[in-house]
This record gives sequence, structure tokens and C-alpha cells, in this order.
Amino acid sequence: MTESYFDWTRGLFDRTRIFDKPEALRGIRVLELTTLILGPTTADFLGEFGAEVVKVELPPGGDTMRYVTPEATFWQNASLGFFPENHSKYHVGIDLHTAEGTELFKRLAAKSDIFVENFRAGTLDKWEIGYRQLREVNPRLIYVADSGFGQWGPFSQGRASYDAVAQTVSGMIGITGFPARPPILCGIFIGDWFGGMLAATAALVALYYRNKTGEGQFIDLAQSEGLIRSLDWTWVRCGLTGQDRGPAGNRDEAIVPADFLACRDGFVALAAGRDEEFSGLCHAMGKPNLVMDPRFATLEARQIPGNRDELLALVRKWGADKSRVELEGLAEKHGFACARVVNAEDRYRDEHLRERGTVWSYDDPLYGPMVEHGPAPKLSATPGRMRWAAKPVGWHNEDVLTRLLGLSPSRIKQLEEQKVVGRWADRPGAKPPDEWAK
Amino acid sequence: MSDPQSWPRFAKEITDPTLAHEKPEALDDLRVLDLSTGNFAALFASSILAEFGAEVIRIEPPAGDVARLFSPEGLRHRGTGLAYLVEARNKRHITLNLEATAGRDLFARLAGHVDVVIESARPGQMDAWGIGYRQLSESNPRLIYLAFSTHGQFGPKAASPIPDYDITNQALSGTPYTTGEAAAEGPPESSVPTKQGNWIAWYAGGGWGAFAVMAALVWRWTSGLGQFIDCSPAEAEMRFTDYDLHWYHSHKRIRERMGALNTCVFPYTLIKTKDSYSFIAGFSDINWAGLTNIMQRPDLRERYPTTKARIGESETLHRELEAWSANLTSQEVLDRVQDYVANKRGPGTVATARLNRPAETLAESHWWERGVFETIEDADYGELLLQGPPWKMSRTPPRIKWACRPVGADNEVVYLRYLGLGRDRLQALKAEGVL
Repeated sequence: MTESYFDWTRGLFDRTRIFDKPEALRGIRVLELTTLILGPTTADFLGEFGAEVVKVELPPGGDTMRYVTPEATFWQNASLGFFPENHSKYHVGIDLHTAEGTELFKRLAAKSDIFVENFRAGTLDKWEIGYRQLREVNPRLIYVADSGFGQWGPFSQGRASYDAVAQTVSGMIGITGFPARPPILCGIFIGDWFGGMLAATAALVALYYRNKTGEGQFIDLAQSEGLIRSLDWTWVRCGLTGQDRGPAGNRDEAIVPADFLACRDGFVALAAGRDEEFSGLCHAMGKPNLVMDPRFATLEARQIPGNRDELLALVRKWGADKSRVELEGLAEKHGFACARVVNAEDRYRDEHLRERGTVWSYDDPLYGPMVEHGPAPKLSATPGRMRWAAKPVGWHNEDVLTRLLGLSPSRIKQLEEQKVVGRWADRPGAKPPDEWAK
Repeated sequence: MSDPQSWPRFAKEITDPTLAHEKPEALDDLRVLDLSTGNFAALFASSILAEFGAEVIRIEPPAGDVARLFSPEGLRHRGTGLAYLVEARNKRHITLNLEATAGRDLFARLAGHVDVVIESARPGQMDAWGIGYRQLSESNPRLIYLAFSTHGQFGPKAASPIPDYDITNQALSGTPYTTGEAAAEGPPESSVPTKQGNWIAWYAGGGWGAFAVMAALVWRWTSGLGQFIDCSPAEAEMRFTDYDLHWYHSHKRIRERMGALNTCVFPYTLIKTKDSYSFIAGFSDINWAGLTNIMQRPDLRERYPTTKARIGESETLHRELEAWSANLTSQEVLDRVQDYVANKRGPGTVATARLNRPAETLAESHWWERGVFETIEDADYGELLLQGPPWKMSRTPPRIKWACRPVGADNEVVYLRYLGLGRDRLQALKAEGVL
């Protein structure tokens, strides 16, 4: 008898065998000169799938994200905000305002396949380590320039950007939340993360092309433009009808019914767009006659605003005195979608996510037990993996400079004395845990 | 020495999207079947591959994909919903009834000709039909097979039959829990966990799916082997949830929603202006010095010199910022900030932007110059305003070639080219309900 599908997938994706499988990007070296989240995620995602990532920081303070941590609370002298986009990297401190520093940096670039930066447009060109200079030392280099507004165009020069700038200028904040209420920020740094994912994807596309031709190239990714891409039907509707889009609360404007429900013990999301799913929902509600009601019988009818509002009111009222687990159970039984609005603890304790490696625990040599989100897509032959946690500024100086550039320990020492190469400042965020120093 | 002024000119020269159509396409040797239904994660994944030059063949059921019906207020343009018009770019469209055995046979034969298959069926459905990865990879070991579902293809909840939707994916990602006004900040019906207005979980899922396909292609280059990719859009967005798990792990703290404020730093917030709202950031100590200089309120930095001090008083400080911005338009806020930053009138950098509704974004020339928006004349659907591919690339820029095709419009071309089926045979298959 053939193995059942889920027995087969369990074996195929077995979390405990991940380290016995190859890595998709083995042999690819990524050099990054980045801060905050957009640039670091671009490199991190490539690292999750096997690329070796060398992270150059300006000593002794390093990446600004080392100081962005919830309620300004550090943990073992590290910023909690710095971990999620800096896994398994080699941390090197080089002062790029010195001639020797830029020389070292160029030698690293000559040995790299992909370079990622997220300075303001033109900054690295001014420092003479931009695309024009690095392609001279390495024509195969794939150069990824992440930014707020892009490398050229009216907004690109001299204007600082953060994730929330992208949320603001893209229109994303303008279509989120409730009408007539003050605007809100997305709870997460979505423009950074989404942009990092897009940039890493383009780097792989460029790598695929390089395999065929040997040619590197330049990639310009603006996080605001990434979010604009994600605003689904917003733009096409504006073009066809002139209608602008504003906030519509928690209901999905294009799929009916799809909404958040306040129930007895929290919130759930519920959706039943296809007619057969809607029929399942009506049966779960104990109102099978709604299936035949001309106001609701087809998705097209349910999308008519008046019908939609009546239906959503009925669903909300029905859900109000149910528990989350009850509603989720009804969805499983009747074939519509329902899932709770989860928080960090829910995910941390979720056995399903643990088994999938979506919640990933490991033992870091410096910080001890870590629990983080693991790689998002699961690849059967070349699964992604987290190997170690982010490290203090300059933690891998000797390793990288010796292994990749062949510098001797005495030469490295000399460069440290000249302050060309450096390591962590004596402050939380940059330095190792107190325990380590003892 | 390079001339710093010329960087933007150079950068534009090598990435100008108006010249994209003259350059090669990175993925022009790649063939993709997308047989997803009602799933914009899958559609975005195949859009990305199509933008980079892959030949993407959409397989729809004979009546068309239900995704063509997902549209605000049910709006249709020449019979197709608005969302689908955005994610059908550069794709060929054929029909095939996978409920029929003959349809599944045709699908298996087509899958022998392609590099990538993308689907969004209930986990196990394709396998039960004998056309899942387990079966297809036997005859096509180079195949990369990407499957989308909310709970994934393995794990205790994998057998859950719930259909995949953006809203449920968003809820499971953890993002809405940390988004929105805190309870009691406003009316009870709006002081709740809040989803993003757009399909962000589906777009995150699609992006990760395309990323994974590219990683698998790089691996196939050396190994010659394909693989199975399991992608949950909920987990795709979950990967983006900052330090949420870390904070729970280290301090048993659960991040809660804070409206327009941020948990880590201040200011990184939205403030009311005379004519709208503006985002404003100046949260590191030096940038806070810059912002208090612009506001001419040095007293604020003396009283709140550190991130810790500012975070503890974010609500008070937010009121101080709004007292300053109440008499300025968002443009005046931007002008003051840019005057300070561009002319280096003091230490620190401040970032600000006016809160846009989409129509205001559309009115700004920056995006049009950069090809972020395009008005294209589609042979089947007429003039459409679309968001273009988000990347500028020097050698292999992505591009839009056409917007959409009607249901089954490419049946003749595709079935003849790959399976040698002529017009008569197709008519017979159509009559049998297979196409």
C-alpha cells in the first residue's frame, strides 16, 4: 500500500533532517553594508538558504538596529530588534572613512557574488565604493541598492526614509484602519521586510542570469515601490473609475463575506468567498435558507454593498457569543475559512509551527537558547535553516580577514591599532553579554 | 574621481524602465504552469516569474478562475474583476477541467514540459488525483513544484480543509494583533486588532514563493534536480513580525497594539497637521537633536535625552509634536525638515512624509518617471493603469508585456504547441467538458 500523503510529506520535510540536506545557495557569498532592516533582511534571506553573509559595520557602534529594541530594553547586552534580520552572518568592523578601510572592503567585494547596501542614493558612489567602482574590481558582482525612494527620480536625492515613510507615501496607511479615525502604523516594519524579500528575489534572478552569461548587474529597489506593488486592485480601479481608496475597517472589500469577528474570547478572521464555502457557513450558522436568499446566493450578489453590509452584520452577530475554538471547529467541519488573531505567545506555544520549523529553536554559543521565526518557505531538497544568532560588532574580524583576505594575525592587529579594523563599543547593543567577559 | 552629481543620472541611464523592452529577460528559458484557484499569493508568485520573462501558462477551470470574481463592490471590467486584471500580466490563459480524468491526464502531460508548477489546492488533493509532486516528479525529476496553503503540507494542522484566504493568513501571521488603536482609545468597534487594507499576506506569500522557486532554480543548476516547495502565506508574513517571538522568549512580554506609536523608539509616528497627517521620525539621540532644533524646542531634548526617557513618555511627547505641527501643513513640515537636513543646519537627520491617499500618490511625478505606474493598452482589456514591477535592473529588467487574456484565449496555441492537439480535437474535448 502506498504511503499516505501526510506521512509522505512528514518524512519529506522532516525538521530533524534539515542539517543533513544541502543548501540551495551554497558557495554564494553575500557582502552587506547595511543598517536597520531593509538591507539586512535582503542579505539574511539569502543566508537562510545557504549563502555565506559577511556583514560589514562601521565600528564601534555598528548598525543602528543594535539600538532599536522594545521599550529600550536590552537582553544580554543585545537589541532584540537586531536578531530577526541578522542570522548566521560573519560580523566585520571596518572604518570605511579610511583609505585602508575602503581598500579592504574592495578586496572583500572582489570575492563576493552579491553586494547589498541601503544607504541614501549616491552615498557609496561618493565614498568610491559604489556600483561604478565595485564593478571594476568584480564584473560578475550583483549589486543590490535598497532605498526609500530609489536611486534616481525627484524624491531620490537627500531624502531620508524609513519603513513607515514607505507605508505613508505608498498609500498603504491611507487604505488601512477605520474610516474617520486617526491613521495607524502597521504593527510591523512591513515596508522593510517586504522590500527585503523582493530585493533578495531579484538578486536570485540576477544570479540565475549570471549562471547563463557570466554577467553581474545593478538592482535598484525602493521599499515604497515594493508596497505600491502590493496594493492589489487600488490602482487599476482608480484608472478605470477615478475612485480613490480609503480605509474600510477589517472587512475584505473584494471578497464577501470576509471580516474579523469579535467573539467571546478574542478575535477571529472568517472568509467564505466561494459559493460552496458560503453554503457551509450558512449551515454552520444554522441558517441554511440564506443560501437561497437572492441577496446572498452568489458572490456577485453578496458583493453588492447593501447586501454585503446586511450579511456581515448577521455573521458578526452570530459569532459574538461563540468561542474562537468553536468557530475554528465549525470552519473545519463546514469548509469555510476561520482562524484566530494570534499574538506572540500563541505562536511561541504552537506545536504545529514548531514541527514546521516556523518557530525555530536552537542553542547559540553566545546567547544560549534562542526561539525565533524560521525560514518562511519550506524546501524539500534544500531547506533553509538558522545556524547562529547575530553577534557583536567585529565579532568575526580575524576569521573573515584571515580566511578571505589572507591577512596575518599581526597585520590584523596593526589595522586595529590604526583603527581601520575595529570591534564593539562598550555599550549595550554593540557589545557581548556581561557573562562572556568574565 | 567620480562626480557625485552624476550618480542619479548614471543610475537612471543603466536602469531606465522605458528601455526595458530592448534588453534581455532573465527567465526567458523558463516555463511555468499556474493552476491555482482564487489565490492571489499564487498569482503574485507567477506574476513575478512572468515579469522576469518566464512563459507562464494559467490553467483555469472551464468557467474561469473564481479569482476573476474577487473585486470591490463586484466591479467587472469586460467580465473580469479588478484584482485579477493586475495579476494576469504576461500570462497565457488556457482552460482545463481537473475534475475530469481526461483533464488530469492532459495536465500530467503538460507538466512534463515545464520547469515549475504552482498550485493552491487543499493539501493532498493533487496527490489524491495522481497529479501531485510525488507523481509528476517521477517522470520529470527537474520539476519545481510550489504549493500554497494556509497551514502548509505537513505538520499537525496540515490536513485542515480550510480554504486559503488573505484575511485568515493575516490573522495567523500575528500582525493584526499588533496593529490598531489600543482598546479604549476610540470607539469599541474600531479599537480592535486591525488588518492591513491590502492583501499583504497573499502578497508576502507570493513573494516568498517566487523567492523559493528562484533558490530552487539555482540549486537545480548544479544538481539537475527539482524539489517540492511548501509555502504558507500566513508563515510568509509571520517571518516579517520583527522581534515579537524574541521579546516573549526573553521577557515573556507580548507586544500589544499602539495606534500610531512604536514600541521601540520615539518619535517614529504619525502626527496631525493643518491639512492632513505626516509621518515623522527622529528617534536616535542625534536625530532627536535635529528634530528638536527644527521645532525650536531644545527644552524637549534636555528633558528627554535618551530613547528610554522618550519611550516612557511617548504620549506626552506625541502631544508636543502635534502642538508644533497643528499650525503647519504637511508640505511645510517637509520643507522645514528638508531645509534643515539638506543645508546641514545642525546635527541629525529627520525623515517625514505626508500621509497619502492612493490618488495623491498617483498624482506625484516621481513614481511615473520611475515606471512604478504604467498605463498600458491591452489588446483584450483596453487601457489599464497598472503598478509595474518594483525593480529597476541594469541588464535584465522586468516588464509588463500584456495585462490579461480572456478565459481559454490561448487554448489553441498552447495545446497545439505542447501536446499537438489541433482544433478538431480541442472542440471535441470542449464538448466533453474537459476544456
